[in-house]
Amino acid sequence: MGVTARDVMDTDFRTVRPENTIAEAVKAFKQASEQRRQKVFGLMVTDARGLLVGMLSLYDMLLLMRPKNIHIWGEMRDIDVTGFIEEACRRARAIRVGDVMTEEVVTITPDTHLLMIVDIMIRKHIRRLPVVDGGKVIGIVYTSTIFYELMERLAG
Amino acid sequence: MAVIDRGSALSGLTVAQAMRKLICRLSRGATIQQAIRHTVKYKINAVLIHDERSEAVGVVSKVNILGGYYAGLPITAPVDAIMVSPPLFCRVDNSLDSVLDHMRRARVQRLYVVGEEPRKVIGVLAYADILGMLYKFCHECKHRTLRELEADCPKKVADEFRVGELMTTTFRAHEEDDSLFQIMETMSANRLRTVLIKGRDGLHRGVVTTTDLTLAYLHGVPASTTARSVMSGPARTCAYGERLIEAVKKMIFWDLDSLYVHKEGAADIVGVVTLAEVARVRSGSCRACMISRIDLNE
Repeated sequence: MGVTARDVMDTDFRTVRPENTIAEAVKAFKQASEQRRQKVFGLMVTDARGLLVGMLSLYDMLLLMRPKNIHIWGEMRDIDVTGFIEEACRRARAIRVGDVMTEEVVTITPDTHLLMIVDIMIRKHIRRLPVVDGGKVIGIVYTSTIFYELMERLAG
Repeated sequence: MAVIDRGSALSGLTVAQAMRKLICRLSRGATIQQAIRHTVKYKINAVLIHDERSEAVGVVSKVNILGGYYAGLPITAPVDAIMVSPPLFCRVDNSLDSVLDHMRRARVQRLYVVGEEPRKVIGVLAYADILGMLYKFCHECKHRTLRELEADCPKKVADEFRVGELMTTTFRAHEEDDSLFQIMETMSANRLRTVLIKGRDGLHRGVVTTTDLTLAYLHGVPASTTARSVMSGPARTCAYGERLIEAVKKMIFWDLDSLYVHKEGAADIVGVVTLAEVARVRSGSCRACMISRIDLNE
């Protein structure tokens, strides 16, 4: 069978709920980063039954923080915008995860082959893939993990 | 390359230079729920709908979504049920002058950009994008209306204008006990994106925006509910005699595209000032440019 997602997936992961606020998600991001000892850029979103309902990624957070009208006032470089980032953060903290998460999430199963995972990550520009078994999340595979797994094998 | 001549900062500028390449799109089988999520997440007013051949077949705007809410459609209904078809297109090599004219005639704020293949959308051009871009071009233009005035004045003349000089009086208010149905009717009849909400004492309590209403629809709030339960607040205001620069800062600070204008006291709302109008005045854009002649609400 060879190496599959089961062999490389991270089973010690954190999730957030759609009803959580962004402030709570930020805490989860920090805790997940401490847990993995490296910065985490995406969290899986699960419902009360543990079923995967979305992913909250770095890109989702950037979209949230981007001001709605910046294409108009961004050119007004003579305006002092001190304190505006703090205000944008204050507004964002109360937003619900479910309103900004990405719902269409590509997943794999524990039996997905390592090279198949590589193919999915390249084709779909994905940096992390939830591993789902019977609808429930049982792990996550990161590009960095795949990269080092391949490095080990390439080193012979 | 853009050439500033004949008093028109738009000369030489094409759609390619102003369009966005990020297109928010859904397939025609997608649900209204997905369309709402897209508008909220990407902070946009409309989503492009495409068919199985990736050809653009329609547009679903927040106004169309509210039409579905008003009609009682379930959010699981397909976008097909509320979309407007076909989308309005422009070509990537069209001049900005011509597309602004197109927007004015069609009374729309965005056009979808196609290249060689018809209906294969490669970008989107919104009026706000052109406004932002033209800001810097008009600033450098020799025909800029404020240039002569500023030559003798160390201050930025546009910022010395007062809010009252720019505001419009086209706003509507509702009481907090009014239903979302009534608010949607007012928005639709007056082409508004925000309605002021007042208490029985006449003091304003907050606002209901199209975003508040689409979120209410998404979260299953019945349209018979009162405005009080979905309004966001407080209503952001500026004073009638306030300097323009202060109003701009407030709009940027709160990420708003308009502010209510009060006169005697905070409760005495007399009008609305928009970021688009302020940007146009600050740019010094003159009557030679289409940008200063366009009024999408006319």
